[in-house]
Amino acid sequence: MSSSKRSTIIVEHLRKQQMWDSISKGKRLDGRNLDEIRPIEIEVGLIRKANGSARVKLGNSEVVAGVKVETGEPFEGLENKGALILSAEVLPTASPYIEPGPPDEETVELARVVDRGVRESEMLDLTKLVLIPGEIVYVIFVDCSVVNADGNLFDATSYAAVSALMNSKLPVFEIRDRKVVDTGEKQNPPLTTLPVSITAVRIGESVIQDPTAEEEACMDARITITTNSDQNFAAVQKGSTGTFTVEQLKKAAASARIKGEEIRAILRELTKTGK
Amino acid sequence: MTQTRSLIDENGKRTDGRTGDQLREIKITVGVIKNADGSAFIEFGMNKIVAAVYGPREVHPKHMALPDRCVLRCRYHMTPFSTDTRKNPAPSRREVEISKVMREALEPTLMLEDYPRAAIDVFVEVLQADGGSRCAGITAASVALADAGINMRDIVSACAAGKVDDRIVIDINDTEDKEGDADMPVAYMPHLEQVTLLQLDGILNEEQFNQCLDEAVKGCKIVYEVQRKALMQKYFGNETELKEEQ
Amino acid sequence: MQEIRRKYVVPGDRIIEGNFRPLFNVIKTGNSIIATRIGIAEAGREGVKVIPLSGIYIPRVNDIVIGKIMDHSSLSWEVDINSCFSAHLPAQDVFGRDFSPARDDMGRELAIGDLITARIIAFDRTRDPMISIQDKDLGKVPRGEFVKISATRVPRLIGKRGSMIQMIEQATHSRVLIGQNGIIVVTGRNSEGIKLAVRAIRMVEEEAHTANLTQRVKTLLSISDSSSAETFQPQPQNVPKNEESQSTIQEVEEELEEEAEKGDKAE
Repeated sequence: MSSSKRSTIIVEHLRKQQMWDSISKGKRLDGRNLDEIRPIEIEVGLIRKANGSARVKLGNSEVVAGVKVETGEPFEGLENKGALILSAEVLPTASPYIEPGPPDEETVELARVVDRGVRESEMLDLTKLVLIPGEIVYVIFVDCSVVNADGNLFDATSYAAVSALMNSKLPVFEIRDRKVVDTGEKQNPPLTTLPVSITAVRIGESVIQDPTAEEEACMDARITITTNSDQNFAAVQKGSTGTFTVEQLKKAAASARIKGEEIRAILRELTKTGK
Repeated sequence: MTQTRSLIDENGKRTDGRTGDQLREIKITVGVIKNADGSAFIEFGMNKIVAAVYGPREVHPKHMALPDRCVLRCRYHMTPFSTDTRKNPAPSRREVEISKVMREALEPTLMLEDYPRAAIDVFVEVLQADGGSRCAGITAASVALADAGINMRDIVSACAAGKVDDRIVIDINDTEDKEGDADMPVAYMPHLEQVTLLQLDGILNEEQFNQCLDEAVKGCKIVYEVQRKALMQKYFGNETELKEEQ
Repeated sequence: MQEIRRKYVVPGDRIIEGNFRPLFNVIKTGNSIIATRIGIAEAGREGVKVIPLSGIYIPRVNDIVIGKIMDHSSLSWEVDINSCFSAHLPAQDVFGRDFSPARDDMGRELAIGDLITARIIAFDRTRDPMISIQDKDLGKVPRGEFVKISATRVPRLIGKRGSMIQMIEQATHSRVLIGQNGIIVVTGRNSEGIKLAVRAIRMVEEEAHTANLTQRVKTLLSISDSSSAETFQPQPQNVPKNEESQSTIQEVEEELEEEAEKGDKAE
C-alpha cells in the first residue's frame, strides 16, 4: 500500500522563492547551470573482500557499492544466463530522516530502477556466466549502500553499481565431478556496454539535471533516463506526483543522451577501464 | 574454538607480520558525513567502518521519549559486501547483540540527563570487516558523538586482545579471530579508567584472563591517542600545539 | 592560581585542578574540572567553562530565534528552531485571546515553510519551548537570503558589543538578522553586497576559534585598518539579557578579540 506523504524536507519559503527566482534566470542556488552535473569522485577497489567495489560521490550524495560472486540456480525461464541481483539500501547514516528498518517504497524503487538500467542495457553478457545450463550459473550480487543523501540517489547509485562492476574481477568456476570448484583464477567481467543514468527534475517550467535534496523537495516531477554506449535508451522512470509535457520529455531524453556520453567518459576515466 | 594450525611463527610474527604487542594501523577521519550531526570514518587494519550520529533530536514516535533523559539508540550493521561470503542485508542475531553491547558501551559516558525527551541515534555501518569490527565501530561512534557536541564524561576507546598459539596478543585480526583460542573485546574510558564493554569468546585461565584484559586496556589507550588526534585535527587544525598557553 | 587561556580540549580532558567553580560544558570530579565537549576551555575568577565548537542549539528563555513553521494543530503552530526541541507558538499569541479556530485561519496567517523571528518565552526540563512573536520586530520574515550556521558560532559572529556583525553590515550595505539558534537572514538593496555578507558570515563560522579572524574578515570586505568609527546601533535582538552562558561567552569573545588585536599589533 503506497500512501501520499508530506515531503520529508520542508524548505523555507524564502529559500523556495530564491530557488525559483534563480532558476528562472538560468542558475541554481549552488551556482550551477540548469544542465550542470555536480563534481563526481570515484574510488574503486576499496573493499578488498568484494570482487569489485566503488565509492562514488556525486556532489554530497555518496554511495558505496560492492560486487560479490557466488554460484546458484538460474532464474526461471533464463536457463542459459547467469543471474544478476542488484540491491540498494539507504543507510540510516545518510540523512536525519532515515529510520532503520525494511526498505520503504522509495528505496525499493531506487533499487529496481538502478537494476533495470544495468540489466536492460545488458551491461554484463550473462550468457558467458553459465556453468550447467538450467542448473548452475554464476550469481552476481551488486549491493549498493547510500552513505550520505543529498539528492539524485538514482544516478549516484547507478554510477556506483556500474563502477563496481567495471572494477570487478570474477572468480573462474569449473564443474568437476558434478561439483562447483573455484579454480583460483580470476577473469574480467564480460562487459558489453556502459549504461549511464541521467536524472532531471522539473521545477516550474525549467528542467534541471542532477538535483540536490533541496531541489528534489521543491520539484514537480522527476525523470531518470539511462542510455548505453550506443546512446540508445535502456531504461526510463518518471517519478513524483507532478507531470511533464511530451515536449519536455523529448528534450530531457535528447539531453540525457548527450550528458550520458559526457558522464560515460568521466566514469571510464575515473575507473580506468574500457567499453 | 580450538586451534588447528600455528598462527605465530618461530620469530614471534603473526599471520600479518605483527608481533604480539603491536596494533594494526589505525586511521580516523572526523566529519565525513555532511548530513549527520557528528560522524567519523575509521580504518582499523582492514576494517572500514563509518559511524554517524544524529542528535540530540526529537523522538518519533513521541511515546518512546523518556521524561527526564535522552534516549540512546544504536545500530551496528554490516553491508552485504563487507565479509568473505555475501551477507544478507537484513539484521542478523549477531548484529542485534552487537548493537546492544555497543549502546551499553557508549551510554555510560553520555550525559543523557542534559537532553530530556530527546533521542540520540548512533549508526555504525561496516563497509569491510576484519576482526575486531565491534571495537572499531565503538571507537568511531565515540568520536562521532564528540563531533556532534554531545556532553560526555569521557571518550570511549575500544580494542580487543586474545589468545593465539597459547599466547596473549593484542588486537586480533580476522584469521586469529576465526582460528585462535580466545577473543576478548574491551571498551574503556581512558581518563575515568572504567571498562564499558567486556566480552570473552574462548577459554582462558585466570592468569591469561588478567593478562588479556591488561593487554586490551593497553590497546584502548593507544586507540585513544588516535581518536584524540583526529578530533584535534578537525577542530583545531595546525593550531593545536601553538595555542596551548599556561 | 594559574589562569588558563585558550586551551583546546576534547571531552574527558582535565582542564584544571583545584577549588574552581564549574560553569558550563564541564563537570567536577574529585579535585579536577573535566571538559565534556570539544571546544576552548577557559578558567578564570568566576569559574571554568568550555566554549563549545560543535553541538546543537539548546533553547534559553529570552533568546531571539528564527524558526520555520512545520505544522499546526488547532491551537498552535509547531516551529522548527534548529534544536532537538520543537517550539510551539500558541494561536492566541497571534490572533489574541478571543481566538477561534472556526473563524481564524491559522494556515493563512503562517504557512508551512514560513520563517519567523520569535522570542523564547518559556522552556524548562518538563516541556518544549514556547515562543511568542508579540514584540515589535518579531513575526514573519518577509524577504532575504537564508543562511544556517552552527549556533556555537553566533557569539563570534556578533562580536564584542556587536562589532563583528556591524562591521559586516556596514561594509556590505546589508542588514543581518541573527537568531541565537544559528539561523540568519540577510537583506539588502544590492545582491553583490548580500553575497559578500554571506561569504563573511561563512568565514566567521569556519574560523571562529582562530586568532586574527577580525583582520581576515576585514580583508575579505576590503576594509582598510584605519577606518574605525563604529556607530553603535542598539540591536536588542542580538543581545539577550539573561544570566547564563550567553553573557559570559560575550566576555570571552571580548578577551579573544583583545588577544587577536594584540597579536595584530605585535606583528
